[in-house]
Amino acid sequence: MNTPSVLWQKNPALAWREIDEATVIISPNDSVMHELNDTGSFLWKNIDGHRSATDLASLLADSYEVTSDVALADTQSLLEEMFSRKLLMPVPATDGESR
Amino acid sequence: MNAPDANSGGARKQQFELSIGCVPFRLQMSDRQLFRAAASRYAAFAEAAAQPIHITLNGYSKSESQPAEFNYEFEGAALRASSRETRFDGVRNEYALDSLLRVLLSWKLATRHGFLLHAATVVRAGKAYVFTGRSGAGKSTVASLSPAGTVLTDEISLLRFENSEWRAYGTPFWGEFRAAGSNTSAPVRGLFRIVQAAENRLTTLRPVVMLRALLPNVLFFSPEFEANRRLLDILGHAVDSISGYQLAFRKDTAFWEVLPE
Repeated sequence: MNTPSVLWQKNPALAWREIDEATVIISPNDSVMHELNDTGSFLWKNIDGHRSATDLASLLADSYEVTSDVALADTQSLLEEMFSRKLLMPVPATDGESR
Repeated sequence: MNAPDANSGGARKQQFELSIGCVPFRLQMSDRQLFRAAASRYAAFAEAAAQPIHITLNGYSKSESQPAEFNYEFEGAALRASSRETRFDGVRNEYALDSLLRVLLSWKLATRHGFLLHAATVVRAGKAYVFTGRSGAGKSTVASLSPAGTVLTDEISLLRFENSEWRAYGTPFWGEFRAAGSNTSAPVRGLFRIVQAAENRLTTLRPVVMLRALLPNVLFFSPEFEANRRLLDILGHAVDSISGYQLAFRKDTAFWEVLPE
């Protein structure tokens, strides 16, 4: 699932906002609250349905002055965690899409 | 408040009006026993106001086909709110009425920048101290250990942002304290997550930590996304603008000495 070329989107069923410099997300169905750390918040803000792990890692590397390899590893790890918590979902592939 | 209403061919209907946290309701029902119980339970909150939310109990509906904006069912009783009317059906006693009224109020507050919270509220020196915690945390204990203050509620507090300040209101939804609640309000001095302990101790909480403490204690029943997004905005604003603390307290009145003035 978490291949670098998959495009990611936020789970549209979730409500979220920034509080105290952290991103707080709640799931209306179970009122579970999720908190994202600094890097997670950065990724969350940039997940828009048009970016892959590679794209996000590139933004992360530019903003946090880390190497591309470290940024990609961190990004994939965080995306995997957010996916497992059902905060994210992959954008369905369309016919003929090359990504 | 207990004005008889028109006899529309069936049993004679009675109605009364009440206001909780400045949210006005008009309850209409034909069950005389239920009416008496409800009128007694909500006596301290009886108040007529302009444009109340009209609730029909166990009555005939003129708009059966109206799409509901909000539905909720609880132990055989059902709440159905549409743009034209709000109905409580299957209400057999005051407890079912009380439950549906809480649910409806929590939903209505989301559009009035407010929320209901499992919390005891005590007013001292004109300021509201809001003590939140789950069942058994000590809300009623804190209320009973506040002889110098006015207990607005020992179970469910109502918080609203109005005129540039957060205010706590009393509600008629009580717990073990068995007071009927006080129909007054005061500006909020602080939110306190309560924990029973051997010594009294006050610790400041960051807004995000306070939010985590509040969420399990907020009464909200809508699974709808927009309503929840609105609620999160309201709660986020509350924890950003109200001082939050953890209060470890011993079961005597001395805990008031560690609270901020």
